[in-house]
Amino acid sequence: MKRVLLGLVLLTAAGVAAFLVVTWPKRGDAVALGQLGGDPARGETLFWAGGCASCHADPKAEGDARLVLSGGMRLPTPFGTFAVPNISPDPLQGIGNWTLADFEGALRHGTSPDGKHYYPSFPYTSYAHASDQDVVDLWAYLQTLPLSNRPNDPHELGFPFNQRLLLGGWKFLNLSTAWAVPDPLTPEEERGRYLVEGFGHCGECHTPRNALGGRDMARWLAGGPNPEGKGSIPNITPAKLDWSDADIAEYLKSGFTPDYDSAGAQMADVVTNISHLPDSDRLAIAAYLKKVPPQN
Amino acid sequence: MKFGFLAAGLAAALATAAIAQDAEDPFADAVEARHGLMLLMAQNLGTLGSMAKGETAYDSAVAGKAADNIAALASVLGMDQFPAGSEYGKSADSFALPAIWTDQTDFVSKITALNEASNAMTADAKKDLASLKAGMNSVGGACSACHKAYRQPEE
Repeated sequence: MKRVLLGLVLLTAAGVAAFLVVTWPKRGDAVALGQLGGDPARGETLFWAGGCASCHADPKAEGDARLVLSGGMRLPTPFGTFAVPNISPDPLQGIGNWTLADFEGALRHGTSPDGKHYYPSFPYTSYAHASDQDVVDLWAYLQTLPLSNRPNDPHELGFPFNQRLLLGGWKFLNLSTAWAVPDPLTPEEERGRYLVEGFGHCGECHTPRNALGGRDMARWLAGGPNPEGKGSIPNITPAKLDWSDADIAEYLKSGFTPDYDSAGAQMADVVTNISHLPDSDRLAIAAYLKKVPPQN
Repeated sequence: MKFGFLAAGLAAALATAAIAQDAEDPFADAVEARHGLMLLMAQNLGTLGSMAKGETAYDSAVAGKAADNIAALASVLGMDQFPAGSEYGKSADSFALPAIWTDQTDFVSKITALNEASNAMTADAKKDLASLKAGMNSVGGACSACHKAYRQPEE
Protein backbone atom coordinates (compact mmCIF):
# COMPACT_ATOMS: atom_id res chain seq x y z
CA MET A 1 0.00 0.00 0.00
CA LYS A 2 2.82 2.35 0.89
CA ARG A 3 4.42 1.59 -2.42
CA VAL A 4 1.25 2.41 -4.31
CA LEU A 5 0.97 5.67 -2.41
CA LEU A 6 4.61 6.53 -3.08
CA GLY A 7 4.08 5.66 -6.72
CA LEU A 8 1.07 7.98 -6.92
CA VAL A 9 2.96 10.81 -5.26
CA LEU A 10 5.88 10.39 -7.65
CA LEU A 11 3.53 10.17 -10.62
CA THR A 12 1.75 13.36 -9.56
CA ALA A 13 5.06 15.13 -9.01
CA ALA A 14 6.25 13.99 -12.43
CA GLY A 15 2.98 15.18 -13.93
CA VAL A 16 3.27 18.60 -12.32
CA ALA A 17 6.92 18.84 -13.40
CA ALA A 18 6.04 17.87 -16.97
CA PHE A 19 3.17 20.40 -16.98
CA LEU A 20 5.50 23.14 -15.84
CA VAL A 21 8.23 22.20 -18.32
CA VAL A 22 5.79 22.08 -21.23
CA THR A 23 3.84 25.17 -20.23
CA TRP A 24 6.55 27.43 -18.75
CA PRO A 25 6.22 31.00 -20.10
CA LYS A 26 8.12 31.25 -23.38
CA ARG A 27 9.59 33.99 -25.52
CA GLY A 28 11.32 34.23 -28.87
CA ASP A 29 14.87 34.63 -30.15
CA ALA A 30 15.80 38.20 -29.19
CA VAL A 31 19.16 38.15 -30.96
CA ALA A 32 17.64 37.54 -34.40
CA LEU A 33 15.09 40.32 -33.87
CA GLY A 34 17.72 42.78 -32.68
CA GLN A 35 19.41 42.59 -36.07
CA LEU A 36 16.33 43.98 -37.83
CA GLY A 37 15.93 47.74 -37.98
CA GLY A 38 12.54 49.09 -36.86
CA ASP A 39 10.54 51.39 -39.16
CA PRO A 40 8.04 53.45 -37.13
CA ALA A 41 6.07 54.49 -40.26
CA ARG A 42 5.36 50.84 -41.11
CA GLY A 43 4.71 50.29 -37.43
CA GLU A 44 1.94 52.89 -37.45
CA THR A 45 -0.02 50.91 -40.04
CA LEU A 46 0.43 47.78 -37.90
CA PHE A 47 -0.73 49.71 -34.85
CA TRP A 48 -4.03 50.43 -36.62
CA ALA A 49 -4.25 46.93 -38.06
CA GLY A 50 -3.81 45.54 -34.55
CA GLY A 51 -6.43 47.80 -33.02
CA CYS A 52 -4.20 48.53 -30.01
CA ALA A 53 -6.04 51.80 -29.28
CA SER A 54 -9.43 50.07 -29.03
CA CYS A 55 -8.50 48.69 -25.63
CA HIS A 56 -5.40 50.58 -24.51
CA ALA A 57 -6.60 54.16 -25.17
CA ASP A 58 -9.13 55.81 -22.89
CA PRO A 59 -12.57 54.48 -24.00
CA LYS A 60 -13.83 58.06 -24.54
CA ALA A 61 -10.76 59.23 -26.49
CA GLU A 62 -11.21 60.43 -30.06
CA GLY A 63 -8.73 61.62 -32.70
CA ASP A 64 -5.12 62.02 -31.57
CA ALA A 65 -6.10 61.28 -27.97
CA ARG A 66 -6.39 57.63 -29.08
CA LEU A 67 -2.58 57.59 -29.32
CA VAL A 68 -2.27 57.94 -25.55
CA LEU A 69 -2.21 54.29 -24.50
CA SER A 70 -2.94 54.96 -20.84
CA GLY A 71 -5.04 51.82 -20.32
CA GLY A 72 -7.89 51.79 -17.86
CA MET A 73 -10.65 50.16 -19.88
CA ARG A 74 -12.35 47.29 -18.07
CA LEU A 75 -13.26 44.08 -19.87
CA PRO A 76 -16.00 42.11 -18.12
CA THR A 77 -15.87 38.38 -18.99
CA PRO A 78 -17.34 35.16 -17.55
CA PHE A 79 -13.97 34.61 -15.80
CA GLY A 80 -13.80 37.99 -14.09
CA THR A 81 -13.04 41.59 -15.01
CA PHE A 82 -9.77 42.44 -16.71
CA ALA A 83 -8.22 45.90 -16.29
CA VAL A 84 -6.37 46.98 -19.45
CA PRO A 85 -2.83 48.18 -18.64
CA ASN A 86 -0.92 51.33 -19.56
CA ILE A 87 1.34 50.54 -22.56
CA SER A 88 2.49 54.10 -23.21
CA PRO A 89 6.30 54.63 -23.25
CA ASP A 90 6.20 55.92 -19.66
CA PRO A 91 9.15 54.22 -17.91
CA LEU A 92 7.35 53.83 -14.58
CA GLN A 93 3.68 53.09 -15.36
CA GLY A 94 3.96 52.08 -19.01
CA ILE A 95 6.39 49.94 -21.01
CA GLY A 96 9.14 52.54 -21.43
CA ASN A 97 11.69 50.30 -19.72
CA TRP A 98 10.95 47.26 -21.84
CA THR A 99 13.41 45.77 -24.32
CA LEU A 100 12.49 44.58 -27.79
CA ALA A 101 12.73 41.03 -26.42
CA ASP A 102 10.24 41.89 -23.67
CA PHE A 103 7.83 43.25 -26.26
CA GLU A 104 8.21 40.20 -28.51
CA GLY A 105 7.57 37.89 -25.56
CA ALA A 106 4.40 39.79 -24.70
CA LEU A 107 3.03 40.15 -28.21
CA ARG A 108 3.65 36.69 -29.64
CA HIS A 109 3.87 34.48 -26.56
CA GLY A 110 1.76 36.24 -23.92
CA THR A 111 4.75 36.30 -21.57
CA SER A 112 5.51 39.29 -19.35
CA PRO A 113 9.05 40.70 -18.95
CA ASP A 114 9.27 39.00 -15.53
CA GLY A 115 8.37 35.66 -17.08
CA LYS A 116 4.68 35.31 -16.16
CA HIS A 117 1.75 34.33 -18.33
CA TYR A 118 -0.56 37.08 -19.54
CA TYR A 119 -4.28 36.46 -19.65
CA PRO A 120 -5.65 35.92 -23.17
CA SER A 121 -7.87 38.99 -22.83
CA PHE A 122 -4.72 40.36 -24.49
CA PRO A 123 -5.14 38.64 -27.89
CA TYR A 124 -1.65 37.17 -28.22
CA THR A 125 -3.34 34.06 -29.63
CA SER A 126 -3.77 36.20 -32.78
CA TYR A 127 -0.67 38.39 -32.50
CA ALA A 128 1.38 35.16 -32.43
CA HIS A 129 1.13 35.31 -36.24
CA ALA A 130 3.06 38.61 -36.41
CA SER A 131 6.21 38.43 -38.57
CA ASP A 132 9.60 39.30 -37.06
CA GLN A 133 9.84 42.51 -39.07
CA ASP A 134 6.34 43.57 -38.01
CA VAL A 135 7.14 43.00 -34.32
CA VAL A 136 10.19 45.23 -34.65
CA ASP A 137 8.35 47.93 -36.63
CA LEU A 138 5.40 48.06 -34.23
CA TRP A 139 7.80 48.32 -31.31
CA ALA A 140 9.56 51.23 -33.04
CA TYR A 141 6.24 53.02 -33.50
CA LEU A 142 4.96 52.47 -29.95
CA GLN A 143 8.05 54.23 -28.62
CA THR A 144 7.08 57.41 -30.51
CA LEU A 145 3.70 57.72 -28.73
CA PRO A 146 2.88 60.14 -25.88
CA LEU A 147 3.60 59.17 -22.27
CA SER A 148 0.91 58.59 -19.67
CA ASN A 149 1.64 58.14 -15.96
CA ARG A 150 -1.71 56.56 -15.15
CA PRO A 151 -1.07 53.67 -12.71
CA ASN A 152 -2.42 50.23 -13.57
CA ASP A 153 -5.40 48.64 -11.83
CA PRO A 154 -5.35 44.98 -10.78
CA HIS A 155 -7.57 42.45 -12.57
CA GLU A 156 -10.62 41.34 -10.59
CA LEU A 157 -10.54 37.55 -10.82
CA GLY A 158 -11.66 34.83 -8.41
CA PHE A 159 -10.02 31.45 -7.80
CA PRO A 160 -8.92 29.51 -9.84
CA PHE A 161 -8.74 32.11 -12.60
CA ASN A 162 -6.31 34.24 -10.57
CA GLN A 163 -3.68 31.44 -10.79
CA ARG A 164 -1.48 32.50 -13.67
CA LEU A 165 0.48 29.23 -13.77
CA LEU A 166 -2.67 27.48 -14.99
CA LEU A 167 -2.60 29.70 -18.07
CA GLY A 168 0.30 27.56 -19.26
CA GLY A 169 -2.20 24.75 -19.76
CA TRP A 170 -4.60 27.09 -21.50
CA LYS A 171 -1.87 28.22 -23.86
CA PHE A 172 -0.87 24.62 -24.53
CA LEU A 173 -4.41 24.01 -25.77
CA ASN A 174 -5.09 27.32 -27.50
CA LEU A 175 -1.91 29.10 -28.59
CA SER A 176 -0.80 28.04 -32.06
CA THR A 177 0.64 29.65 -35.16
CA ALA A 178 -1.27 27.27 -37.45
CA TRP A 179 -3.61 29.13 -39.83
CA ALA A 180 -7.36 28.66 -39.45
CA VAL A 181 -7.78 28.82 -43.23
CA PRO A 182 -5.12 26.63 -44.81
CA ASP A 183 -3.16 27.05 -48.03
CA PRO A 184 -3.34 27.33 -50.96
CA LEU A 185 -4.34 30.98 -51.14
CA THR A 186 -3.51 33.73 -53.62
CA PRO A 187 -1.02 36.38 -52.43
CA GLU A 188 -3.96 38.79 -51.86
CA GLU A 189 -5.87 36.20 -49.81
CA GLU A 190 -2.69 35.47 -47.83
CA ARG A 191 -2.36 39.16 -47.02
CA GLY A 192 -6.01 39.15 -45.88
CA ARG A 193 -5.38 36.07 -43.75
CA TYR A 194 -2.39 37.69 -42.11
CA LEU A 195 -4.50 40.75 -41.26
CA VAL A 196 -7.65 38.87 -40.14
CA GLU A 197 -6.08 35.94 -38.25
CA GLY A 198 -3.08 37.95 -37.03
CA PHE A 199 -3.00 41.65 -36.20
CA GLY A 200 -6.70 42.30 -36.82
CA HIS A 201 -7.56 39.57 -34.26
CA CYS A 202 -11.06 39.33 -35.77
CA GLY A 203 -11.39 35.73 -34.55
CA GLU A 204 -11.17 36.81 -30.91
CA CYS A 205 -14.78 38.04 -31.03
CA HIS A 206 -16.14 36.54 -34.27
CA THR A 207 -15.19 32.95 -33.37
CA PRO A 208 -17.24 31.37 -30.56
CA ARG A 209 -15.43 30.16 -27.43
CA ASN A 210 -15.52 26.78 -25.71
CA ALA A 211 -16.08 26.16 -21.99
CA LEU A 212 -12.42 26.87 -21.23
CA GLY A 213 -12.50 30.18 -23.05
CA GLY A 214 -10.51 28.97 -26.06
CA ARG A 215 -11.62 29.72 -29.59
CA ASP A 216 -13.62 26.91 -31.21
CA MET A 217 -11.47 26.64 -34.33
CA ALA A 218 -13.98 24.30 -36.00
CA ARG A 219 -16.39 27.25 -36.05
CA TRP A 220 -13.91 29.85 -37.26
CA LEU A 221 -15.59 33.30 -37.63
CA ALA A 222 -19.06 31.75 -37.18
CA GLY A 223 -20.06 34.30 -34.53
CA GLY A 224 -21.66 33.69 -31.17
CA PRO A 225 -22.27 35.38 -27.83
CA ASN A 226 -20.34 38.59 -27.19
CA PRO A 227 -17.37 37.57 -24.99
CA GLU A 228 -17.32 41.06 -23.46
CA GLY A 229 -20.93 41.57 -22.52
CA LYS A 230 -24.46 41.46 -23.83
CA GLY A 231 -25.67 40.59 -27.29
CA SER A 232 -24.08 38.49 -29.96
CA ILE A 233 -21.31 38.82 -32.53
CA PRO A 234 -22.29 38.14 -36.14
CA ASN A 235 -21.26 35.18 -38.24
CA ILE A 236 -18.94 36.56 -40.97
CA THR A 237 -18.36 33.31 -42.88
CA PRO A 238 -19.68 33.28 -46.47
CA ALA A 239 -22.77 31.38 -45.25
CA LYS A 240 -24.05 34.58 -43.62
CA LEU A 241 -21.93 37.44 -44.94
CA ASP A 242 -23.05 37.73 -48.55
CA TRP A 243 -21.67 41.22 -49.20
CA SER A 244 -19.50 41.85 -52.26
CA ASP A 245 -15.77 42.51 -51.86
CA ALA A 246 -16.46 46.21 -52.51
CA ASP A 247 -19.20 46.21 -49.82
CA ILE A 248 -16.83 44.71 -47.23
CA ALA A 249 -14.02 47.11 -48.13
CA GLU A 250 -16.38 50.11 -47.96
CA TYR A 251 -17.73 48.99 -44.59
CA LEU A 252 -14.21 48.74 -43.18
CA LYS A 253 -13.39 52.22 -44.49
CA SER A 254 -16.48 54.38 -43.83
CA GLY A 255 -18.50 52.07 -41.57
CA PHE A 256 -21.44 51.97 -43.99
CA THR A 257 -23.20 48.65 -44.54
CA PRO A 258 -24.67 47.89 -47.98
CA ASP A 259 -27.97 49.24 -46.55
CA TYR A 260 -26.20 52.43 -45.43
CA ASP A 261 -26.75 51.71 -41.83
CA SER A 262 -23.49 52.39 -39.98
CA ALA A 263 -21.22 50.39 -37.71
CA GLY A 264 -21.92 50.67 -34.01
CA ALA A 265 -20.67 49.13 -30.77
CA GLN A 266 -17.17 47.61 -30.91
CA MET A 267 -17.13 47.54 -34.72
CA ALA A 268 -17.19 51.35 -34.79
CA ASP A 269 -13.72 51.29 -33.23
CA VAL A 270 -12.58 48.54 -35.57
CA VAL A 271 -13.61 50.64 -38.57
CA THR A 272 -11.84 53.71 -37.15
CA ASN A 273 -8.67 51.60 -36.91
CA ILE A 274 -8.92 49.72 -40.21
CA SER A 275 -9.77 52.93 -42.12
CA HIS A 276 -6.09 53.89 -41.63
CA LEU A 277 -5.00 50.95 -43.82
CA PRO A 278 -4.60 51.22 -47.60
CA ASP A 279 -7.55 50.21 -49.84
CA SER A 280 -5.56 47.16 -50.99
CA ASP A 281 -5.53 45.79 -47.42
CA ARG A 282 -9.31 46.16 -47.02
CA LEU A 283 -9.85 44.38 -50.34
CA ALA A 284 -7.42 41.66 -49.19
CA ILE A 285 -9.49 41.17 -46.04
CA ALA A 286 -12.60 40.85 -48.22
CA ALA A 287 -10.87 38.34 -50.52
CA TYR A 288 -9.80 36.26 -47.51
CA LEU A 289 -13.29 36.28 -45.95
CA LYS A 290 -14.64 34.67 -49.13
CA LYS A 291 -12.24 31.75 -48.54
CA VAL A 292 -13.37 31.04 -44.98
CA PRO A 293 -15.30 27.73 -44.73
CA PRO A 294 -19.04 28.59 -44.58
CA GLN A 295 -20.71 27.89 -41.22
CA ASN A 296 -24.39 28.13 -40.45
CA MET B 1 -31.96 42.64 -46.19
CA LYS B 2 -32.05 45.94 -48.11
CA PHE B 3 -32.53 48.59 -45.43
CA GLY B 4 -33.45 45.68 -43.15
CA PHE B 5 -32.68 47.25 -39.81
CA LEU B 6 -34.10 50.66 -40.61
CA ALA B 7 -37.08 49.26 -42.47
CA ALA B 8 -37.87 47.00 -39.51
CA GLY B 9 -37.56 49.98 -37.22
CA LEU B 10 -39.76 52.09 -39.46
CA ALA B 11 -42.36 49.34 -39.83
CA ALA B 12 -42.36 48.94 -36.07
CA ALA B 13 -42.63 52.70 -35.69
CA LEU B 14 -45.62 52.79 -38.03
CA ALA B 15 -47.22 49.85 -36.26
CA THR B 16 -46.68 51.47 -32.90
CA ALA B 17 -47.95 54.76 -34.26
CA ALA B 18 -51.19 53.01 -35.18
CA ILE B 19 -51.46 51.46 -31.73
CA ALA B 20 -50.41 54.74 -30.19
CA GLN B 21 -53.61 56.43 -31.27
CA ASP B 22 -55.35 54.17 -28.77
CA ALA B 23 -52.59 53.84 -26.18
CA GLU B 24 -51.46 57.45 -26.60
CA ASP B 25 -47.75 56.60 -26.66
CA PRO B 26 -46.26 60.09 -26.32
CA PHE B 27 -43.06 59.05 -28.15
CA ALA B 28 -44.48 57.38 -31.24
CA ASP B 29 -44.23 60.44 -33.49
CA ALA B 30 -40.72 61.35 -32.35
CA VAL B 31 -39.41 57.82 -32.87
CA GLU B 32 -41.09 57.59 -36.25
CA ALA B 33 -39.65 60.95 -37.26
CA ARG B 34 -36.07 60.03 -36.38
CA HIS B 35 -36.29 56.64 -38.06
CA GLY B 36 -37.64 58.39 -41.16
CA LEU B 37 -34.74 60.83 -41.10
CA MET B 38 -32.24 57.97 -40.83
CA LEU B 39 -33.89 56.08 -43.68
CA LEU B 40 -33.78 59.14 -45.92
CA MET B 41 -30.10 59.62 -45.07
CA ALA B 42 -29.45 55.97 -45.92
CA GLN B 43 -31.16 56.36 -49.30
CA ASN B 44 -29.06 59.37 -50.22
CA LEU B 45 -25.90 57.72 -48.92
CA GLY B 46 -26.79 54.78 -51.13
CA THR B 47 -26.63 57.04 -54.18
CA LEU B 48 -23.16 58.21 -53.14
CA GLY B 49 -21.99 54.78 -52.03
CA SER B 50 -22.74 53.08 -55.33
CA MET B 51 -20.47 55.66 -56.98
CA ALA B 52 -17.79 55.21 -54.31
CA LYS B 53 -17.84 51.44 -54.86
CA GLY B 54 -17.76 51.82 -58.64
CA GLU B 55 -21.19 50.27 -59.15
CA THR B 56 -22.46 53.40 -60.91
CA ALA B 57 -20.47 56.04 -62.78
CA TYR B 58 -19.56 59.20 -60.88
CA ASP B 59 -21.94 62.05 -61.73
CA SER B 60 -21.16 65.40 -60.14
CA ALA B 61 -24.74 66.72 -60.31
CA VAL B 62 -26.36 63.58 -58.90
CA ALA B 63 -23.74 63.26 -56.17
CA GLY B 64 -24.06 66.94 -55.31
CA LYS B 65 -27.83 66.68 -54.94
CA ALA B 66 -27.56 63.62 -52.67
CA ALA B 67 -24.92 65.32 -50.52
CA ASP B 68 -27.09 68.47 -50.28
CA ASN B 69 -30.00 66.30 -49.14
CA ILE B 70 -27.84 64.65 -46.45
CA ALA B 71 -26.70 68.04 -45.16
CA ALA B 72 -30.32 69.24 -45.06
CA LEU B 73 -31.45 66.09 -43.24
CA ALA B 74 -28.61 66.46 -40.72
CA SER B 75 -29.68 70.05 -40.02
CA VAL B 76 -33.14 68.80 -39.03
CA LEU B 77 -31.76 66.20 -36.61
CA GLY B 78 -31.87 67.33 -32.99
CA MET B 79 -33.38 66.88 -29.57
CA ASP B 80 -36.87 67.47 -31.05
CA GLN B 81 -36.79 63.86 -32.26
CA PHE B 82 -35.35 62.65 -28.96
CA PRO B 83 -37.78 63.63 -26.19
CA ALA B 84 -36.63 62.40 -22.78
CA GLY B 85 -37.90 58.89 -22.13
CA SER B 86 -38.17 57.78 -25.77
CA GLU B 87 -35.55 55.14 -25.06
CA TYR B 88 -34.78 51.50 -25.69
CA GLY B 89 -36.93 49.28 -23.51
CA LYS B 90 -39.52 52.00 -22.86
CA SER B 91 -40.62 52.66 -26.40
CA ALA B 92 -41.05 49.31 -28.16
CA ASP B 93 -39.25 50.29 -31.36
CA SER B 94 -36.64 52.63 -29.93
CA PHE B 95 -32.91 51.83 -29.99
CA ALA B 96 -31.94 55.06 -28.23
CA LEU B 97 -29.80 54.58 -25.13
CA PRO B 98 -30.51 56.55 -21.92
CA ALA B 99 -27.02 58.13 -22.13
CA ILE B 100 -28.49 60.48 -24.78
CA TRP B 101 -30.21 62.38 -21.97
CA THR B 102 -27.66 61.90 -19.18
CA ASP B 103 -24.83 62.97 -21.52
CA GLN B 104 -26.85 65.33 -23.69
CA THR B 105 -24.08 67.87 -24.31
CA ASP B 106 -21.91 65.18 -25.86
CA PHE B 107 -24.83 63.76 -27.86
CA VAL B 108 -25.58 67.19 -29.32
CA SER B 109 -21.88 67.74 -30.09
CA LYS B 110 -21.96 64.52 -32.13
CA ILE B 111 -24.93 65.87 -34.11
CA THR B 112 -22.92 69.05 -34.67
CA ALA B 113 -20.01 66.92 -35.91
CA LEU B 114 -22.35 65.20 -38.38
CA ASN B 115 -23.51 68.60 -39.63
CA GLU B 116 -19.91 69.75 -40.12
CA ALA B 117 -18.96 66.58 -41.97
CA SER B 118 -22.03 66.58 -44.20
CA ASN B 119 -21.70 70.30 -44.98
CA ALA B 120 -18.09 69.68 -46.02
CA MET B 121 -19.22 66.76 -48.19
CA THR B 122 -21.57 68.97 -50.27
CA ALA B 123 -18.51 70.54 -51.90
CA ASP B 124 -16.53 67.27 -51.96
CA ALA B 125 -19.30 65.37 -53.72
CA LYS B 126 -19.47 67.91 -56.56
CA LYS B 127 -15.69 68.01 -57.03
CA ASP B 128 -14.56 64.50 -58.00
CA LEU B 129 -14.80 60.85 -57.01
CA ALA B 130 -11.73 60.86 -54.75
CA SER B 131 -13.07 63.86 -52.79
CA LEU B 132 -16.48 62.22 -52.54
CA LYS B 133 -14.90 59.09 -51.03
CA ALA B 134 -12.99 61.18 -48.49
CA GLY B 135 -16.18 63.06 -47.61
CA MET B 136 -18.07 59.79 -47.11
CA ASN B 137 -15.35 58.65 -44.72
CA SER B 138 -15.84 61.69 -42.50
CA VAL B 139 -19.62 61.40 -42.58
CA GLY B 140 -19.39 57.67 -41.87
CA GLY B 141 -17.13 58.41 -38.93
CA ALA B 142 -19.68 60.87 -37.54
CA CYS B 143 -22.52 58.32 -37.94
CA SER B 144 -20.53 55.59 -36.21
CA ALA B 145 -19.31 57.79 -33.36
CA CYS B 146 -22.89 58.52 -32.37
CA HIS B 147 -24.22 55.01 -32.99
CA LYS B 148 -21.40 53.51 -30.95
CA ALA B 149 -22.15 55.65 -27.92
CA TYR B 150 -25.92 56.07 -28.09
CA ARG B 151 -27.56 53.23 -29.98
CA GLN B 152 -28.48 49.85 -28.55
CA PRO B 153 -26.79 47.20 -30.74
CA GLU B 154 -29.10 44.88 -32.64
CA GLU B 155 -29.54 41.59 -30.75
